[in-house]
Amino acid sequence: MYDFTYHRPSSLDEAASLLAGAEDGQFIAGGQTLLPTLKQRLARVTDVIDLGGIGELSGIAVLGSRIEVGATTRHADVAASADVRNAIAALAELADSIGDPQVRNQGTIGGSLANNDPAADYPAAVLGLNATVHTNSREIAADDFFTGMFETALDAGEIITKVSFPLPEKAGYAKFPNPASRYAIVGVMVAATGSGVRVAVTGAGPCVFRARDIEGALAADFSASALDGVTVSADKLNSDLHASAEYRAHLVMVMAKRAVAAAG
Amino acid sequence: MTRVEIGQAVRRQEDFRFLTGRGRYIDDIDMEGQARGVVLRSSHAHAVINSIDVADALEAPGVLLIVTGRDWIAEGFGPMPTKSGVRKNRDGSELHEPPRHCFAIDRVRYVGEPVAFVVAETEAAAIEARDLIVVDYDELPAVVDGVAALKPGAPRIWDDIPANLCLDFELGDERAVDAAFGKAAHVVTLDLVNNRVTAVPIEPRGCVASYDPETETFTLYNATQNVHANAATFAENVLKIDKDRLHHIAPDVGGGFGAKNSAYPESPMALYAARKLNRPVKWINSRIESFLSDTHGRGQTSRVQLALDGDGRFLALRTETVGGIGAYCWTVGPFTPTAGSARTQGGPYDFPAIYYRGRAVFTNTAPMDPYRGAGRPEATFQIERIIEFAARKLGFDPVELRRKNLMPPDMLPHTTPMGLNVDCGDFPRVFERTLGLADQAGLAERAGSARRRGRRFGFAVAPYLECTGGGPREYAGVGFRAGGAISLSVGSQSTGMGHETSMAQLLAARLGVDFERIEYHQGDTEKTPIGGGHGGSRGLEIGGNAVAQAADEVIGKAKAVAAHLLQSRTDDVAFAAGVFRGSGASVSMAEVIEASFDPKLLPGNLSPGCLDTGATFERGEVSVPNGCHAAAVEVDPETGFVEVVGYWVVDDFGTIINPLLADGQVMGGIAQGIGQALSEEIVYDEDSGQLITASLMDYGLPRADGVPNMVIEYYQGAPTAKNPLGVKGAGEAGCVGSLPAVVNAVLDALKDDGVRHIDMPLTPEKVWRAIADPNAGGPVDLMGDVL
Ligand SMILES: Cc1cc2nc3c(=O)[nH]c(=O)nc-3n(C[C@H](O)[C@H](O)[C@H](O)COP(=O)(O)OP(=O)(O)OC[C@H]3O[C@@H](n4cnc5c(N)ncnc54)[C@H](O)[C@@H]3O)c2cc1C
Repeated sequence: MYDFTYHRPSSLDEAASLLAGAEDGQFIAGGQTLLPTLKQRLARVTDVIDLGGIGELSGIAVLGSRIEVGATTRHADVAASADVRNAIAALAELADSIGDPQVRNQGTIGGSLANNDPAADYPAAVLGLNATVHTNSREIAADDFFTGMFETALDAGEIITKVSFPLPEKAGYAKFPNPASRYAIVGVMVAATGSGVRVAVTGAGPCVFRARDIEGALAADFSASALDGVTVSADKLNSDLHASAEYRAHLVMVMAKRAVAAAG
Repeated sequence: MTRVEIGQAVRRQEDFRFLTGRGRYIDDIDMEGQARGVVLRSSHAHAVINSIDVADALEAPGVLLIVTGRDWIAEGFGPMPTKSGVRKNRDGSELHEPPRHCFAIDRVRYVGEPVAFVVAETEAAAIEARDLIVVDYDELPAVVDGVAALKPGAPRIWDDIPANLCLDFELGDERAVDAAFGKAAHVVTLDLVNNRVTAVPIEPRGCVASYDPETETFTLYNATQNVHANAATFAENVLKIDKDRLHHIAPDVGGGFGAKNSAYPESPMALYAARKLNRPVKWINSRIESFLSDTHGRGQTSRVQLALDGDGRFLALRTETVGGIGAYCWTVGPFTPTAGSARTQGGPYDFPAIYYRGRAVFTNTAPMDPYRGAGRPEATFQIERIIEFAARKLGFDPVELRRKNLMPPDMLPHTTPMGLNVDCGDFPRVFERTLGLADQAGLAERAGSARRRGRRFGFAVAPYLECTGGGPREYAGVGFRAGGAISLSVGSQSTGMGHETSMAQLLAARLGVDFERIEYHQGDTEKTPIGGGHGGSRGLEIGGNAVAQAADEVIGKAKAVAAHLLQSRTDDVAFAAGVFRGSGASVSMAEVIEASFDPKLLPGNLSPGCLDTGATFERGEVSVPNGCHAAAVEVDPETGFVEVVGYWVVDDFGTIINPLLADGQVMGGIAQGIGQALSEEIVYDEDSGQLITASLMDYGLPRADGVPNMVIEYYQGAPTAKNPLGVKGAGEAGCVGSLPAVVNAVLDALKDDGVRHIDMPLTPEKVWRAIADPNAGGPVDLMGDVL
């Protein structure tokens, strides 16, 4: 790890100005992605600004037709929240499927979204459930947030403050984990929402995406059997040590059906 | 205060320490004034080193010393020799052993090979400086697979070694095998891969070295399995000093499995730096570097051929194996794919003839050395896979085919065509018992339930027979102190298996003293004059017998003291359960020990300390642990995901000293076997020779949720007469039986899909592909080009 200066601001403004003043600064939340990167000297930063001291960023609130999860809320807290489980069980289950207990006790939803790992689970929840990402300067719709591999609509220095999930009519998440890391080889979130059926696929491609053919089939008939005969193309999907593009394309359909079944 | 017996499930003494953070592992050791070392490792699989520029690095803050291969040679240090038990090719010539120095000398031959050692005030400063070293490489073509390395036109790893061939070994009567094949009703051939894996001990390797200029002696704390042998290599071969000048200590070691067996290069680097700088030097490997630089295991490609008569009786077995061993001969590297995999060919089956040929081949990869079982899991996998394959191909029931060919008890003792003396056991009984356990667990019902849930169900049974190994001699020392403490020092070593409990249990039970009085010592060249460390399931078999022998010598001496106290003749005193009885009166061992410190109570020819004893036990023949595994699996046909849902084992380890510890060995070995069978694999890129699976994000270690509950039983009806305790070695057996049990169970699940073979690891994608296309997994001709 290269040397850096550590800061722990107690307000959003302080955090933002610390970053603005830093030569090459980075926010840190759970540190589950940033710390390994720093340890392996794959990144060099001058300042690390810990968001953990900003009280307003943490916590879960149920507000009528939506549920709000603060940016520094840990995966384990989302998984264990009775409110989340009652309102959107699929979200609690998704959080519970992330990594291992140590990762879930440290990692945060804000860090996961800002990082936008192609195999991360939360992007599927945000995109599939049509959530809104709130930052210290604006609100970003899920469809606009994920722009590419490890890329998001966030501007430099912009801080995610919370994520607002509208309650779906039903939703289900199914994941095929990587046996080593437990990230998603393929994860599919399906949801019947006020704005129609949404299907978000993570792990399979360079960035989370909506599977429009699956959405179309489910809009007509929200059942697993409605997906018989539907396929996704392997063309733009990832191939690596753990799964070829062809296998991933197959798994997308299997997971989509299982997610529909889980949604009930 | 507790009395313990042999065979009792005594709980592990060491666990409280380990589980509450009080273990003392290598990274817990810090010395006054210590500096930190880090290794610059090769980033290329094969390249000429044109130059190494350390000028900028030497200027970096806190840097104390940088050593390169050239510096090392200039110091006159020597290479580390292999201790391979076989050194002769089948034509009688000597194996090829290129010099294995601690550093790459002018050429790197695998990714991760040490190029320089940087010592600085702190680890961070050393890493900072390491980044400033500029190495100018000219890349050479690399070859990472053993079979590919043998093929004509393959890149040469050593200019003067043809075909990259290190050792070409054979065993058995090839002509008898040929004759049997000639008249056989059926000959079945299967090419298979035993995938390359690595042990991933939870504690990475590391060491802390120091030097005392006054006495000119070194002290080396080291996360190693083998203090004595490695001290000799470091001192005599590398540093060229007397081995008594190196005090080598292994503190608590967090797992070894063979990967901490070898003499590794970083220890001499740290020793040299400690002397040069006159301050202690500590080095700890990172996890990624562990993947790059720990020894790997398995990694064999084989052609297995089985000849049967019309009734399914086995007539002959022929196995030809190629094992890539990395770029150098490590401590026993050439041994594993050759003699190490030969000895137990044929398993517990009655074979009139067997022929084995094994070639150890240089490759541009990390070194190969023992990994739990080292050759016996490979041999068991070969025989069990070919039987399963033959059964499917020829239409025999796989259980019946095994039953028919197991050696019956009245055939024992029997020397196999591989020269292994199988002295005792009851293979059919162990086999039937294992099947019985699985039946009791409701196998049929489970199968039905799996099918109703849309899953394929598979079951397989895998009898195994293996043999022990490792250094044949062991020392145990017993020392008594006034006040009651008894020290027990043993030259074999636990890296987590629980010797602190089992060895103490043995001594306490034998002497009839309280278990808590025993203080256990191991892993220290000054505590025992010799020591074979850890390896080859030798702990109880050799170390335990040394303890028993020492205990018996103590009892003999104590009898004289007891006779004096009881005013009887020594011959009239009997000892049992911790009590000496003369005519009428009796005295306990504890009382005798106490009396041994009082000159007034001792006979004239004895003085205080007279009970202290050191005993050396020497093994005659290796013992033959055996048993039977059975596994049940469910396969999700939509994803190819395999779940092991049931596991049954009956083991014949001879006498069981502590069933709790034996269970731990069996479970751990099976967990490793499940890992290798389903998810673990070291993968090098074929072209670049880069290690692709260099972290736990990509290397699929098994996890608790992938390991089922196991039903474990012991057959204790056949203690071996090869050693006084009648023990057969338990440490590796779990790994030996589990590979074929799991793989054959998966193939059983897929039999109606027409799938006959899939090479390990049986990853979901491979299984899914095989279901879609039964020939996707093979078998294919892997060996044709090199036979
Ligand atoms: C072994 C392992 C297994 C894992 N398995 C999974 C898995 O199965 N599924 C999965 O989804 N994830 C997995 N993860 C990732 C983990 O769950 C975290 O979500 C992820 O590492 C990022 O969250 P964090 O809080 O740790 O972020 P950090 O590492 O602290 O930060 C990551 C990045 O986000 C930025 N950042 C953090 N918070 C904010 C914010 N509020 N606003 C703006 N930028 C911010 C940081 O500057 C940094 O660039 C795994 C990680 C590990 C180490």
